[in-house]
Amino acid sequence: MRTFARIIRFSLQSIWRNLWLSFVTLTIFALTLVIVNVVLFLHMTANAALRSVEDKVQVAVYFNPGTSPEMEASVRGYVLGLPQVKTVDAITADEALATFKTRHASDASVLAALDEVGGNPFGDALVISARSPDDFAFILEAVKRPEYVGSIKETDYTDYKDVIARLSLFSERIRWSGLALAAFFALISVMIIFNSIRIAIYVHRDEIAIMKLVGAHDWFVRAPFLLEIVFLSCIATAAVAGVVLATAHSIDGWFLRYIEADISVWHYFSANAFTIFGAEFLALSILGLLTTYVAMRRHLRV
Amino acid sequence: MIRFSNVSKHYPPSTTALHGVSFHVEPGEFVSIVGQSGSGKTTLAKLLFAEERPTTGKVVVGDWDITDIHRRDIPVLRRQIGVVFQDFKLLARKTVHENVAFALEVAGATSARIREVVPQVLKIVGLGDKAERYPRQLSGGEAQRVSIARALVHRPKIIVADEPTGNLDAITSREIIDLLKRINEFGTTVVLVTHDRDIVNALKKRVLTIHHGKVVSDVAHGKYTLG
Ligand SMILES: Nc1ncnc2c1ncn2[C@@H]1O[C@H](COP(=O)(O)OP(=O)(O)OP(=O)(O)O)[C@@H](O)[C@H]1O
Ligand SMILES: [Mg+2]
Repeated sequence: MRTFARIIRFSLQSIWRNLWLSFVTLTIFALTLVIVNVVLFLHMTANAALRSVEDKVQVAVYFNPGTSPEMEASVRGYVLGLPQVKTVDAITADEALATFKTRHASDASVLAALDEVGGNPFGDALVISARSPDDFAFILEAVKRPEYVGSIKETDYTDYKDVIARLSLFSERIRWSGLALAAFFALISVMIIFNSIRIAIYVHRDEIAIMKLVGAHDWFVRAPFLLEIVFLSCIATAAVAGVVLATAHSIDGWFLRYIEADISVWHYFSANAFTIFGAEFLALSILGLLTTYVAMRRHLRV
Repeated sequence: MIRFSNVSKHYPPSTTALHGVSFHVEPGEFVSIVGQSGSGKTTLAKLLFAEERPTTGKVVVGDWDITDIHRRDIPVLRRQIGVVFQDFKLLARKTVHENVAFALEVAGATSARIREVVPQVLKIVGLGDKAERYPRQLSGGEAQRVSIARALVHRPKIIVADEPTGNLDAITSREIIDLLKRINEFGTTVVLVTHDRDIVNALKKRVLTIHHGKVVSDVAHGKYTLG
């Protein structure tokens, strides 16, 4: 316990007395963590955007006006029974017209045709959400059963296939380039730690020699260096956590306003703060400890 | 207390610093080891506190055969042997008190014990009033006293001093030697490496002379015999 307190004192002294070195190490630690968190953020938003677009993919089945409620219920039951279907909402003729109009808002000829007809040419309708955007072609085919065709006026779907494909690709790219970038910074960290330790050992070589001469155990010489890395990792993680949370908090409102998807960066980082920053601290410490250990084996013959 | 049996030390690639050295030191003795530069005196001292290992032969300190001492046990040995060097080896960024306390701290001594022992040994070496100074604020003689105080702090059975007066003028050297003599009178075995003729002659203690890595003479109450 006493010895442990002394080791802590020595390592804090070492941080303080080699402030510049500590600062460089801290900076590179923090940079690595910032990169990791930016990657996390991009990945998380791309995923959320993807999910929200996927949720919007819907197949609509419009019945002929006057279709019997039994028939509608039967189609509804059948569709609900398909494993690809997530939800089915029954809507009234008026809602169906409105839905149709919004879906074809960009198609002037369709709207003109509607006006020509006058009134509401629709009956009731079903709005079907698929589990996956790949399934809606199947669902469209599935409702074309002989016993139903007579009652169904029209089917259509919102086509987000392109958007989804692009988002998936984007998300995938973020993941890989982000990982590569993080790995690159981790490598730089390793090199910097390795050199810091080498310099620290060089700076402390007299002290280390004297420690050994007056009877210090190897671990007593090593422990302050190892502990120093843990302290620095802790400071770097805390600083980055502060910056990330503050940033998340301040961009959250902007994010919710401009991006339709239901994404809260703040919620994501604050709810998972312990996991995210805990894991980052652990990873950083382990990386630092391994590097320090190797550097000591190479340069500190104790 | 110290026994060398046919000890040789070879430094790769081609230096043999000691050839078949054998001698024995009784507890409480004061032995001067003399010899020309490069004769192997420092090597002999390093074998005593396990800074080097003998290539052949056997080294025993106390009842402990340290010929093949395990790394793990070296700190234990070093807490039983105080070492003093020509260049003092003090920590520049620690005060006199901290330098001496450091030797106790690394050994896990309690703070209470450190507060008790450090002023005691500083008083023994005559530096009771300079505890808060830094090494650069000390004269050479004072710095050497600090390093002797640090060597004493574990209450060692043996003190090994490798040319402790090498950087000091004649008068200061005498004071340091007198200090070592006083420590010896309290029962600590002292091994003094030196090539200072006047010191050896004035001491009138046992003198072991080394030449080209061999013991060429070993006389109680000896004199400095080299040219
Ligand atoms: N670590 C080492 N590696 C190789 N050779 C060494 C080493 N240490 C000492 N020597 C050689 O061993 C011989 C004895 O050296 P040592 O330091 O023991 O001499 P010394 O008697 O203490 O000399 P001085 O009076 O100058 O201090 C010398 O030839 C020296 O060059
Ligand atoms: Mg020497």
